[in-house]
Amino acid sequence: MSLSKDTKEKRSKEKNAESGERILVCLSSSPSNQKVIDAAAGMAEAFHATLTAIYVKPANYDSFSDNDKLRLQDNIRFAEQNGATVITVNGNDVPAQIVEYARTSGATKIIIGRSGAKKRHFWSTTTLTEQIILNAPDADVFIIPDSTVDIKQQSRRLILAQNIRPTWKDSAITLLFLALSTGMGLLFNTFDFSEANIITVFILGVLIIAVITVSPIYCIVSSLVSVLLFNWFFTEPRLSFHTYEPEYVVTFAIMLVSSLITGTLANKLKENARQSAREAFRAKVLFDTNQLLQKAECADDVIRISAQQIKTLLDRDVVIFPLTQEKELGEAVEIAVPQYNDKSSEKDENEAEIAEWVFVNRTEAGTHTGNYKKAKSIYYPICINDYCYGVIAVYLNGKNPETFESSVLTSIIGECALALESLRNAAEKEEAAIAVRNEQLRSNLLRSISHDIRTPLTTISGNAGNLLTHYEQLDTETLKQIFTDIYDDTEWLINLVENLLSISRIENGKMELHLSLEVVNDVIKEALQHIDKNADKHHIIVELNNEVLLARMDARLIAQVVINLINNAIKNTQTGSEIKISSEYVEPYIYVHIEDNGPGIANSMKPHIFDMFYTGSNSISDGRRGVGLGLALCKSIVESHGGSIILVDNYPTGCCFTFFLPVEEVTVHE
Amino acid sequence: MNKPVILVVEDDAPIRNLMVTTLKAHDYKYLTAPTGQEAVMMTASHNPDVIFLDLGLPDMDGIDVIERIRSWSNIPIIVISARGEDEDKIAALDAGADDYLTKPFSVEELFARLRVTIRRLSMMNSDSGTDRSIYTNGNLKIDYPAGCAYLNGDELKLTPIEFKLLCLLAKNTGKVLTHTYITQNIWGRSWDNDIASLRVFMVTLRKKLEQSPDPTEYIQTHVGIGYRMIKV
Repeated sequence: MSLSKDTKEKRSKEKNAESGERILVCLSSSPSNQKVIDAAAGMAEAFHATLTAIYVKPANYDSFSDNDKLRLQDNIRFAEQNGATVITVNGNDVPAQIVEYARTSGATKIIIGRSGAKKRHFWSTTTLTEQIILNAPDADVFIIPDSTVDIKQQSRRLILAQNIRPTWKDSAITLLFLALSTGMGLLFNTFDFSEANIITVFILGVLIIAVITVSPIYCIVSSLVSVLLFNWFFTEPRLSFHTYEPEYVVTFAIMLVSSLITGTLANKLKENARQSAREAFRAKVLFDTNQLLQKAECADDVIRISAQQIKTLLDRDVVIFPLTQEKELGEAVEIAVPQYNDKSSEKDENEAEIAEWVFVNRTEAGTHTGNYKKAKSIYYPICINDYCYGVIAVYLNGKNPETFESSVLTSIIGECALALESLRNAAEKEEAAIAVRNEQLRSNLLRSISHDIRTPLTTISGNAGNLLTHYEQLDTETLKQIFTDIYDDTEWLINLVENLLSISRIENGKMELHLSLEVVNDVIKEALQHIDKNADKHHIIVELNNEVLLARMDARLIAQVVINLINNAIKNTQTGSEIKISSEYVEPYIYVHIEDNGPGIANSMKPHIFDMFYTGSNSISDGRRGVGLGLALCKSIVESHGGSIILVDNYPTGCCFTFFLPVEEVTVHE
Repeated sequence: MNKPVILVVEDDAPIRNLMVTTLKAHDYKYLTAPTGQEAVMMTASHNPDVIFLDLGLPDMDGIDVIERIRSWSNIPIIVISARGEDEDKIAALDAGADDYLTKPFSVEELFARLRVTIRRLSMMNSDSGTDRSIYTNGNLKIDYPAGCAYLNGDELKLTPIEFKLLCLLAKNTGKVLTHTYITQNIWGRSWDNDIASLRVFMVTLRKKLEQSPDPTEYIQTHVGIGYRMIKV
């Protein structure tokens, strides 16, 4: 399973490398859908593109006939056989879902079957195809001739079904306005106004009802009822549905038609207004999400922000399952709407299991989906290009998410996945860059030290060889010189090894620290015991601050810094020079200065002094140059402790290295 | 006291030679053991005065050797470890080692450690007969029952914690005590904050002990490891 996924991933990546094209094909349960898939697969091959098949699963999927379901399964399998990655999203607004997915996954071509292509009435909504073309301006849309109109009819039915349900409130409004119209008509009748006025009043009533109520059914019903009411109250004989004058039949017909048209138009106008308001709202939500996501710095932030946005949008509890370090699904993190807190006990008990399932299968699950239907929440994978970044669960308490809501949800989750992907790409790039840098560092280090180790080793082994063979012939003076040389060389090597050991602790550009609280003065005193043995040829002055200052540090490394700085001064100044070590406390840092009155450092060298492998020209040292590790090491040690190291000129000559570390306040236990 | 017998436990021949040569040059008697097993046997059969023990032995863990020897003997043990193995050193000290040497060490360092340990031995021997309630070390005198400490005959003004610390160090003169050991004995626990407090108390205690114009260093700081009272 995992293997096949891997190979699939690889294949899709390879294809990606060949061209940036992504083809999205829409699935349906229609028998002719295979023709569409076939065309898409052919196109994918021709363009060397990745092929994704999408199926938008409506809420009433369960009511589909078994035949439909079987055909859909067949089509899905057919798509998979043709190398497509199959995605199922849940939602009723089919075009919106498809467009949203296409946008977030970066599909360049959308392939759909032609479905019920023509508008039948001037008030009918646009077709699926038209909506997709309208809403996905960036993608090329290909329409493949397809004999059935399956998807469209379903969606049409659903849209109607959702809006048609009468409500108590709307019924009351309808009754009220019909009564008002009748009352007004009766009033007009008393004043002997012409019937035309009364008809206008009724049409006005229908218009108002159409504007106020949601379902178009009220508009139709109130048109009919208006005509009946007019007949009952205002035509002779009154209070009956009969009429004497045949011309009234025409009046009734015209009245019915005009009120129907007025009502429908008003309804449609209102629907458009609502649509555009929603579009505006959705654009705003997505824009906000986008803005917030751009500020996010880590994957956790991204998921959290998205969850917050979903929470704000839907006013429902959201649970997120981010990935752990090990790329497994982590613990659930709840982002709850305050007033729903008491309901948290009603959460799905097996939410971890469902989330895990969603994570593995990269498919939605939970209420109103095909899987884990009994769950109270709906679980979405945060998925892009076969890589899953986590799972978001929205608590619905068994309610159906509105079409609009689920489409915005898809958008936000898509945005979230996009943001996560770009973060991951950035992290991967950075890792690669660090690896390259480490590799460079290592090879530089090896090149540099192999030369520098060889020199003293040659001297030591040559001298020891001399001693072994010619010991008797050598006079005391020469012997002493040889012993001193051996001793010096080993000292030098020991020092080098110390620095190398410290450097080996730099991993990924960061130093691994064994932190503990230490008294700064103790560490400096410790360091003073390990400085170059040539120290007695210089005047070393120690003036330490008397306060007990503790800093959290790796004592060995900080001692190494002091040793390196003092040795540096000893090596680079003339015999008899003055080297002063002092410390001062300026809240919240302790500053340690190492000053000398040697020749100082030339301005041209200063910018490079802390670079690794930089060895300046020095005239005082007795021939052996350093490796150029000491100061670079000091800098990385001090900086990894949250401090810094600087170099200034000393007056009148010489230089002064200062490093500072943050001091930690301590409460003392008596 | 006769020249003490020193057992050198070290598997690396050049280092063993170096130590043996150094000891020979200074007229010490010595024994050598290349493995932990032999070290334990030699200790049992020859009863040396001081043991130099390398922590990285081929056959068994140095800490085990210390524990085995400590089960019947109080012979001072000085462990030898490579640089960068602070944890090992601390574990060895907590297991009962007296002192440590870090490779690479100089000959002077080796003898400094040896001298400190031998002074401690002689103090332990001489103390056994005399009154244990009074401790003297150079100009420092501690009267345990009275709870007073004197420097140059003047009473030191110590807080209770400082006095406890001083007593603990004095009773273990010559031995390196780890931070954990000290905090366990003073506070009964070893939290990060206690170790920080220990640092502060140590600095104030040392200031009080080393206030004279020509101060003697009684307490040594071993950065990252612990503290030790030296026999002056």
